[in-house]
Amino acid sequence: MTSEEQQQEGTQDGQQEAKPQAPLATLAATQRPNQEFKKTLTDTLDKLFPNSPFTIDETTTDVNVHCPPEHLSWLVTTLKERKELAFDYLRNVSGVDYEEGLTCVYHFYSFKHGHTVQLTVKCPPDNVHIPSLTGLYATASWHEREAAEMFGFVFDGHPNLKNLLLEEDLDIHPLLKAHPLQKPEILQGIEDGTPGFDF
Amino acid sequence: MSTWPTTREMDIETDGFDTVDMSINVGPQHPATHGVFRMVLTVDGERVVDCEPYIGYLHRGLEKLTENADYRQSMGWWDRTDYLAGMCCEGAYCMAVEKLAGIEVPDRAEYIRVIMMELSRINSHFMFFGAFGADVGSMGTSFIYGWRERERIYDLMEEVAGDRMFPTYFRIGGVTMDLPDNFEQRCRWVLDSVKKGLEDFDGLLTGNEVFIERCRDLSPVTPEQGINWGLTGPMLRATGLKWDIRRAEPYSIYPHLKFEIPVGRQGDVFDRYMVRMAEAYQSVRIIEQCLDEMPKSGLVLNPSLPKTLRVNDAECYLRTEGTKGEYSIYAIAKGGNKPYRMKLRSPAFCSLSALREMVVGTYVADAIIILGSIDIVLGEVDK
Repeated sequence: MTSEEQQQEGTQDGQQEAKPQAPLATLAATQRPNQEFKKTLTDTLDKLFPNSPFTIDETTTDVNVHCPPEHLSWLVTTLKERKELAFDYLRNVSGVDYEEGLTCVYHFYSFKHGHTVQLTVKCPPDNVHIPSLTGLYATASWHEREAAEMFGFVFDGHPNLKNLLLEEDLDIHPLLKAHPLQKPEILQGIEDGTPGFDF
Repeated sequence: MSTWPTTREMDIETDGFDTVDMSINVGPQHPATHGVFRMVLTVDGERVVDCEPYIGYLHRGLEKLTENADYRQSMGWWDRTDYLAGMCCEGAYCMAVEKLAGIEVPDRAEYIRVIMMELSRINSHFMFFGAFGADVGSMGTSFIYGWRERERIYDLMEEVAGDRMFPTYFRIGGVTMDLPDNFEQRCRWVLDSVKKGLEDFDGLLTGNEVFIERCRDLSPVTPEQGINWGLTGPMLRATGLKWDIRRAEPYSIYPHLKFEIPVGRQGDVFDRYMVRMAEAYQSVRIIEQCLDEMPKSGLVLNPSLPKTLRVNDAECYLRTEGTKGEYSIYAIAKGGNKPYRMKLRSPAFCSLSALREMVVGTYVADAIIILGSIDIVLGEVDK
C-alpha cells in the first residue's frame, strides 16, 4: 500500500468518524402497535358494545384486546365482518399457562388494511372451555388441536379435537408449567424416576 | 357398508360391478413424504376421496425446552426447526429476543444476517426444485442439479460459520464472528454458480412439456381460500396476492433493499413452482446489493450486552418471512434469564393443514405432487 493510498484511507476514515450515520436497522421502528388502528378499534367497540368488558392495551408489537371467553365469538365475528376492521386472516393461536388459569392468545391480520391485533382470552381457574373459531377460519382447526393437547383447552364446537403432535392415546399436557421437563416415567413406564435433564 | 362416497356418487361408470373404497397408507417412511410424515388416502379407483394427514413423528418439544433454558442456550435448537434454512430460523429467534429486550444490532451484522438468510432461502428453494422435480418424475437429474448448488452454498456457510446445516452463527445482538477475508469474492462466485443452476432448472423443468402438463391447473387456489386456510409465503403469492412480510411488515434492513415480489395467477402447482423460481433470482439480487452496500469494517456484535441476559416483563409477536411462509414467534418474558413462553407459528404446519382440501378429488399420483408443492419441512411442522 502506497503512502497516498494510506492518506486517502485516513481521510475517508476521518470523514466517516466525523459524520456517523444513523443505524439502518429498522426492527425497533417497525412491527409496532398502530396507534391509528387502536383508536378506530376503541371507537368501534364503544359504539357497538357500550360498557363493554374488553380492555385494550399494547404489547411490544401489537394492539392487545383482553376478552372474556363468553364474548370471544361476538368479538371475533365483529373483527371479521366490520369493514373498518376486516380481519380476514388468523395467523396464530397460542396457549399460555400463567399458573392462575389458562390463557389463549390469538393473532389476526387484515390484508385489506394491513393492521394486526392480538386477543388475550383469559379463562377463569377450573374452566378450560373456549368457543372454537373453526366456523370462521378454517386454519383455526390445527392451531386449536395443538393448543388443546399441549394445555388441555376444550374448544367447544371443534369437529375433531384429538391429539395432533403427541401420540393419540397420550393424555398429558406437556406445556403446562406443572409438567416437569422430560419426566422419564411417562415415556418409559418407570414409576418414579428423577427428571432427565436439569438446566 | 362404507361411509365414503362411492363411485356411483362420483358419476363414474362401473358397468354393473360393486366397488368398495380402499385406504392407502403413505409414509411415515417414504421418499415422497419428504421426511417422517404419514397420510392415509381413501381412494375410489385412482381418485382420492379423503385424505387424513398424521404428523408429530419429529416432535421434540422445542417450546418446552426453550422455556427451560437460558436465552442463549436455545439458539441451537431453533435452527433445527426449518433445517433446510437454519439461518432464517436463527434470525427469527434472535430478533424476537432483541425485540423483547430492546437490543440493537450493528449495521454490519445486519448485512451479514441478511446475506446469510437469503443464502439459506436459495438453499431451501433448491431443495424444493430438486425434490419436486423428482416427485414429478425427472428421476434423479433434478435432485443432482439441486444438490450441486446446495453443496457450494454449504461450503460457503462452512467457511463463514464453521458448520453446514446447523451453523448456530447468529447471536443475540449480532453474529458470532466476522466474515472471512475472501468472502465477497467467494460469495459472488457462488452467486454466479447459483444463477447458472437456476438456468439449468429452467431448461430441465420449466419448459418441459411433461412437467407443465402434470402441474398446470392442478389444485388451483383462490386468494380467499388461501387466506382462510392459513397459507402464506410462496403458496399464497402463487394465488396472485402480493404479500411478503419483508415488505408488508418489514424487519432488519429489508426496507433499504430493492427487490420484487413475484406472484402467480391461479395458485396451481405450476404457479407455486414458478414463484419459488422467481424468488430465488430475487434473493440473488438482494445478496448482490448487500455485498455492494455493506460497511467494509465495523463491529458485528453489540458490545454492551450483559454477561447474563435478563428480560423484564414484555410480550411480542415477531413476524419474519421464512422460506415456506410466515415464520413468527410469540414470545413472553417475565423476568429472569429464561423466556416464559415461546410459541412458533410455523408456515409449513399451516399449509399442511389445508392438504385435505387441496388433495380431495385429484388422482393419487397428483396427490403426491400437491404434497411436494407445499414444500414441507417436518422439523418445522412438528417442532
